[in-house]
Amino acid sequence: MLYVKQLFKSYEAGKNKYEVLKGIDFHVAQGEFVAVMGPSGSGKTTLLNCISCYIPFDKGNIKLGGVELAGMNEEELARVRNTKIGFVFQDFMLLDGLTIRENILVPRIVQGEVPGEAEKLADQLAAMFGIGHILNKYPAEISGGEKQRAAVARSLINNPLIILADEPTGNLDSKSSRAVIETFINAKQKMNATIFMVTHDSFAASFCDRVILLKDGTIYRQLEKWEDRSVFQDQLLDAIKEMSVA
Amino acid sequence: MTSTINMRQMEQKLQRADRKQSRLYLFCNFMALMIISAYSALMLSPTVQKVFPEGGDSRKQMYMIFVMTLLGCVVFTIYALGLFFRHKSRQLGVLMALGASRKRLAPGLYREVILLSGVSAILGTAAGFPFVWVIWHAFRLFLVDSSDMVLTFDFRCLFISLLFLLLVVGFAGLTAWRYLKKTNIMEVIREEHINEPVKELGRWCGPVGFLVLLAGAVLGYGAPWACIAWFSAYPPAWVSVLYAPVFVGLYMIMLHTVVHGWKSHRKNPYKNIISRSMMKFQGKQTVNNLLVVTLLIAGGCFAIFYLPTNGIAAVLRYASLPYDYFYKYQADQNVPDRTKIEALGREYALSLKDWNECDYVTLGMGGMTRIEEEDSLRFHDEYVPMQQEAMVLSEDAYRMITGQEVDVEPGTYRCVTDQEETSLYVNNSAKEITNMTTRKVLATEFAGYLHYDLLAEEIPCCVLDSADYDLISEGLTDDWRGRFVAFNVDGKDSYPFANALFRLFVSSFDESCERPSYYDRVQKIRENEEGKEYWGDTDDMTTIRYEMADSFMFRNFWVYMPNFRILNQNDYLRNMAVMFMMFLFIFIVCMITALVVCYTRCQSIALNNRYIFDDLKKLGASPAFLDKEVRSQCTNVFKMPALVGTIAMFLLYAMILYANDGRLLKPEWAAMGLCLCVIVVIGGVIYAVYRSTVKAIKGQLQI
Repeated sequence: MLYVKQLFKSYEAGKNKYEVLKGIDFHVAQGEFVAVMGPSGSGKTTLLNCISCYIPFDKGNIKLGGVELAGMNEEELARVRNTKIGFVFQDFMLLDGLTIRENILVPRIVQGEVPGEAEKLADQLAAMFGIGHILNKYPAEISGGEKQRAAVARSLINNPLIILADEPTGNLDSKSSRAVIETFINAKQKMNATIFMVTHDSFAASFCDRVILLKDGTIYRQLEKWEDRSVFQDQLLDAIKEMSVA
Repeated sequence: MTSTINMRQMEQKLQRADRKQSRLYLFCNFMALMIISAYSALMLSPTVQKVFPEGGDSRKQMYMIFVMTLLGCVVFTIYALGLFFRHKSRQLGVLMALGASRKRLAPGLYREVILLSGVSAILGTAAGFPFVWVIWHAFRLFLVDSSDMVLTFDFRCLFISLLFLLLVVGFAGLTAWRYLKKTNIMEVIREEHINEPVKELGRWCGPVGFLVLLAGAVLGYGAPWACIAWFSAYPPAWVSVLYAPVFVGLYMIMLHTVVHGWKSHRKNPYKNIISRSMMKFQGKQTVNNLLVVTLLIAGGCFAIFYLPTNGIAAVLRYASLPYDYFYKYQADQNVPDRTKIEALGREYALSLKDWNECDYVTLGMGGMTRIEEEDSLRFHDEYVPMQQEAMVLSEDAYRMITGQEVDVEPGTYRCVTDQEETSLYVNNSAKEITNMTTRKVLATEFAGYLHYDLLAEEIPCCVLDSADYDLISEGLTDDWRGRFVAFNVDGKDSYPFANALFRLFVSSFDESCERPSYYDRVQKIRENEEGKEYWGDTDDMTTIRYEMADSFMFRNFWVYMPNFRILNQNDYLRNMAVMFMMFLFIFIVCMITALVVCYTRCQSIALNNRYIFDDLKKLGASPAFLDKEVRSQCTNVFKMPALVGTIAMFLLYAMILYANDGRLLKPEWAAMGLCLCVIVVIGGVIYAVYRSTVKAIKGQLQI
């Protein structure tokens, strides 16, 4: 589904150049729920932004659904972002002037006319994620957890190949975080969605099939969940502890 | 219930939600265009063009301040546009992130910004005319009215507004294109929170800035003088560049204000740390804005100082005149005599006293004159016989009219100047005097000054030994002869009498005297005899008509304009009305522009730092603390430009007044006192706007 090979990305600040990603290699399979963890500055968000084509990368290959993203022009990249990727931001990024239903439908609206079936899908997604009752409300009128679930519904409206989520629970309380994670699990189970999530939260990560640990722009270790969720969370915590002293 | 919307409807819905931001942008554009359109309409109106002398200092000042205002308007429109896009960028970024391509976003975005900028610019341009009309007629209604003040427009001024309109719309389109071209979507999304820190200099930059500013002012003002005095050359246009350090100095002062502040933080380094850091991280735009505001306030002060400076000088001058009524006339004119004037006085229940009159003659005087060389830049001074006309009195006549004892040696002459010897119209280099009828020449030389304000006019006045006077004036025809008349009123004077006498006086002259004081008959004869055409015969500026006896031109430049104290005192404001009203208008425009820039800057600081205030609230900051932070931000934006702009212009004005003659005279001290009072009033207005800005921002931040 997603192949990342020898990905490099650096930033320039004045005369200084900072290498953020130093040759990242991994892949994500169809229907897999993968998390990326690591300390601040390890390159998690940069990796996500490169995959979503939000920022250009220096070199390397990103293949999504068998299609190489490097070398695409702006128009092609826009189409990939619209049809192949669903993105969930930490701060939701809902448009304040639109209702929740309209927000969910935005990826369809930018394609052109919205067919009736898309509206039905929006209603189904909202019902599936427990936000059916707020579809006609505006973002300012609902809670953070509801906003994020609306954002997840929006990411799924075009039936993308992959959902990319950047700290989706970062701005939420534990109850809302749990609800959002359950939304992802729901999407994975019912829609066979592929999810790639950056998080700091080991609890959220423990629901994933696999966790990639990043350190200083390289992959430090990958952990797969074989056992119970809470055992996996303990394993994660141990690995993070080990990484911090390494 | 579902409601399907398409891209266009979605954009319209989002635009409706952003209307607060759009309103600010509309307001800024509207104000900028209204100001530019109003200023250019008035500046280029025939009403103003007729009164402001071509090539004169007042016209240059008007143009210079216009350029400054234009600059201010450009800055705040660009700034407002930046603010609009900063807010819009999140929406654009989200749509890009969700797969909207440039092609998909472009039509809606271009439509929105071009519509907003175009409509506001057209409305602003159109509003400029009623704006200037209302202000002008309010002046006429409440302050002063005269025949000069009939407002007419030359609609070619719309060309300037049109250029500005194109700039506004073009820049809006260009900015939209730049946003659409961005490839880093995260940058677009986060644009609203991107800081714009300014490059820091040490704490020395503020004090050094003041020195640089001072150096620029002295250098810029002194350079033209140095060119003339040391190199006998007219200052080339590039000399104005020497004023550049003024702007550098101002920038350094504003940079210091933004980065360090002017209070020492050594004892308590954490005091105001939040406010200072907020200011610092919005530094780049803030410094630019403060600079523009300072220049606008300085420009406004420069314009408004014109009123007290000229007003007080006139008031003091009229009060100190030795006669209530003083006039001269050409001997061949049928001017009312003493009997007629006394009879007129009786009609107004006035009796006249201290009647004095004496003869004078107009002669050709030799003198040094400035001859331009072929390049028109350099010049040399050369002695020219019959260089200009001069009014010449005998010792006896001078004694009679002034009451001063005087003794002029034969073969010499003495020049009459004012009490302070500031008159520019003296000739102290003549070697001979010419009778313009007989062409008899009398050798003479300068023997010093006499002091009498009423005779220190635009035409030089000299006194000769009585025997020399008789000798040289022999054979002169009446058109070169004249008479001075002076008298006082016994008791309280009457304006209606003065006005009636003025009308009677003017109506008694024939068309041979329809000329301004700067029309030099001697120079005309000399040039005609050399086969040249005299400039005064070709230029409209020298046209004076009796039917325009109430106009600025006539009252200020008619060669026989009488000095009637009560008439001058009462009509002074009316005579100078157009000049004064234009400068008052410039002041109003500069202040409005400056205050709008300050207001929008404070708004943007509030908008950009909203999340900081939210965080501070979460951290338990009290309303009083937050209030202090808001005030501190706004104070920096309003206070420093107001202080620097007003004080710098006050000092520059004082320097100009001092540099005129190397001293400060009583009227100049009085003018400076009045200017200080004006500064206090300006300070009050700025403070009032500051208070309402703080209130508005606190409302927005819910403090």
